[in-house]
Amino acid sequence: MGELRLDPITARWVIISTEKNFGPDNYQVEKLDTEEGICPFCEGKEKMTPPEVDADRAKDSKPDTPGWQTRTVPNKYPALANQAQMNKSGVGMFDMMSGVGDHEVIVETPDHSKQLADLTIEQIKRIIRVYKRRSLALSQDERFKYVLIFKNYGLVAGASLEHSHTQLISLPVVPRRVTEELECFNRYFDYKERCIFCDIVRQEMEYRHREVCENRDFIAFCPFASRSPFEISIVPKKHQAQFMDISEDIIDNFALILKEVLVRVKKTLNNPPYNFIIHTSPVNSAQQEQYHWHVEIMPKLTKIAGFEWGTGFYINNTSPEVASSYLKKVEVQDY
Amino acid sequence: MPELRKDPIIGRWVIIATERAKRPQEFKVSHNSQSPSQDCPFCSGHEEYTPAEISAIREKGAKPNGSGWQVRTVPSIVPLLYSSGELEKRPHGIYDMMNGVGVHEVIVESPRHIASLDELEPSEISQVLEMYRQRILDLEKDIKFKYVLIFKNHGARSGATGSEHSRSQLIALPACPKSVKGELDGAKRYFDYKDRCVYCDMISQEIGDKKRLILDQDGFVAIAPFASRFPFETWILPKNHSADFSKNSDDELYSLAKIFKEVLHKIKITLSDPPYNYMLHIAPYRRPKPGYWSTIDQDYHWHIEIIPRLTQVAGFEWGTGFYINPTPPEEAAKFLREAKDG
Repeated sequence: MGELRLDPITARWVIISTEKNFGPDNYQVEKLDTEEGICPFCEGKEKMTPPEVDADRAKDSKPDTPGWQTRTVPNKYPALANQAQMNKSGVGMFDMMSGVGDHEVIVETPDHSKQLADLTIEQIKRIIRVYKRRSLALSQDERFKYVLIFKNYGLVAGASLEHSHTQLISLPVVPRRVTEELECFNRYFDYKERCIFCDIVRQEMEYRHREVCENRDFIAFCPFASRSPFEISIVPKKHQAQFMDISEDIIDNFALILKEVLVRVKKTLNNPPYNFIIHTSPVNSAQQEQYHWHVEIMPKLTKIAGFEWGTGFYINNTSPEVASSYLKKVEVQDY
Repeated sequence: MPELRKDPIIGRWVIIATERAKRPQEFKVSHNSQSPSQDCPFCSGHEEYTPAEISAIREKGAKPNGSGWQVRTVPSIVPLLYSSGELEKRPHGIYDMMNGVGVHEVIVESPRHIASLDELEPSEISQVLEMYRQRILDLEKDIKFKYVLIFKNHGARSGATGSEHSRSQLIALPACPKSVKGELDGAKRYFDYKDRCVYCDMISQEIGDKKRLILDQDGFVAIAPFASRFPFETWILPKNHSADFSKNSDDELYSLAKIFKEVLHKIKITLSDPPYNYMLHIAPYRRPKPGYWSTIDQDYHWHIEIIPRLTQVAGFEWGTGFYINPTPPEEAAKFLREAKDG
């Protein structure tokens, strides 16, 4: 069971895992272990994970047995625990609350050898529908204020298992970065009565020198103030606050652009580790229609040095214009 | 000329190096080469390998850019920012940017080829801290600059490149960095509410509690902060309230040197010489302008933050600014308190 702690100065929340209690020996400075033994996410190994909460499976197959296309299971080592009582308290001058939340793993394919970029459009559409289903299901629980969907690909990006998977975390508070984003959306809206992201999409479509690719419903570009080299945003062209409101008729184009972007990243940078995050509006709180959901993809090419974490001031050695020109150059087939 | 760009959503500034634009294939390898000391540009006797020095603590009579120094500050060979030119702020459609005016210096901590600061004697570390103070005061004279950052990357995983010769870096910026602003705002909010400094309150609670206290000596404390983002994150703070590092006397710097050495040494033996970063958190330069608050001297409290680099920052942290820390600071403090040689 973990605790959430609030830094009194920056209002930053931290999850402290009181269970793991890692000592110095739990950390190895350079760990490069390739996967050994049995993968719990492979077909036939369903009993190695906690019981599934969702799966795309053949009509006649039973839960936690083979015959699935995607499978969602609770994380075996969750950062947060679902059963906990919500409890907020003070410790002297400090504030904390119990670590209530859900932490799930979405296994994207039964095939151990495939990564997300290798999957078919049909399979990627299934995965997107799982994201949507699980977001809707978890937002039914009123204790949760935010549902975060993210993916760590490759060891450097923080992944602990090689079999392609996405993670989902529901949180009892709105994370700080989301609050900051919302404040900015609201400030811009108050001033201009337009959504800032709609304006960004318009500007990127007009200038096109940071664009990576687009289709009818989505545009992918390297953001103007990219924090890291080859950072990419995928944004729906039509304003929509919540990812989980994505409709069936744009899921197609979302799958297409996601696959195309990941293939371009893979080919341009020789299969780099990356992080992928869906930024969306909070749930179970006042309407936040000003928000505009989007995906951030961050190849992990550099080490974050003292300067960046200390300041929130990032150094990026590849301008987004240069990055997008490389990403655009890659030959991709029609999917 | 590199550019500073502001993220329109978060308000975060990014330096975009337009000149040194890296191509995809330049990222791959992780060179872990340790340059032998005969090639090290930071060793005594190799002064001509670096650009001309900006400042040095050296023996009487020793000439600039010759040997005979203890601490030496030189311009970075690969600067992130350039000091020449006027600050120019401009729009780009709906975006905002300014040119990359700034200073990037390297502070070489010893003429000997040592790998980490804690190998020096307190009197030598004290001279490094005196150099920090001198550079902060000197750069204050240039009104372009709002903030001076002094930090260190130790070990390859922390972002350090090239020679392992122990050194710190200094960057002077025309804008106050976002997280510094966050800290200042937080400290001010607390002060407005309670009429006390949040750091002073924290220090007295940690001294009373003892659970997260690592060291308490000669006017300084070292603690594992309550909401540590990273395992074994350690802060060193002066017990007497002060917003500015540059106001420290020589005696205070000597006391700081002693606790700093001890803390770095404890981290080294506890975690078998891990890569780490540290950064000096100080108040920005006060340049009077309308609407600027006047209580910064009372509400901010300078300190040093040390972060051993033990975990990877993953997608979750990136996406949320929400960190997952697998070691409670109480445990970390206990390990560090009890750390002993051998």
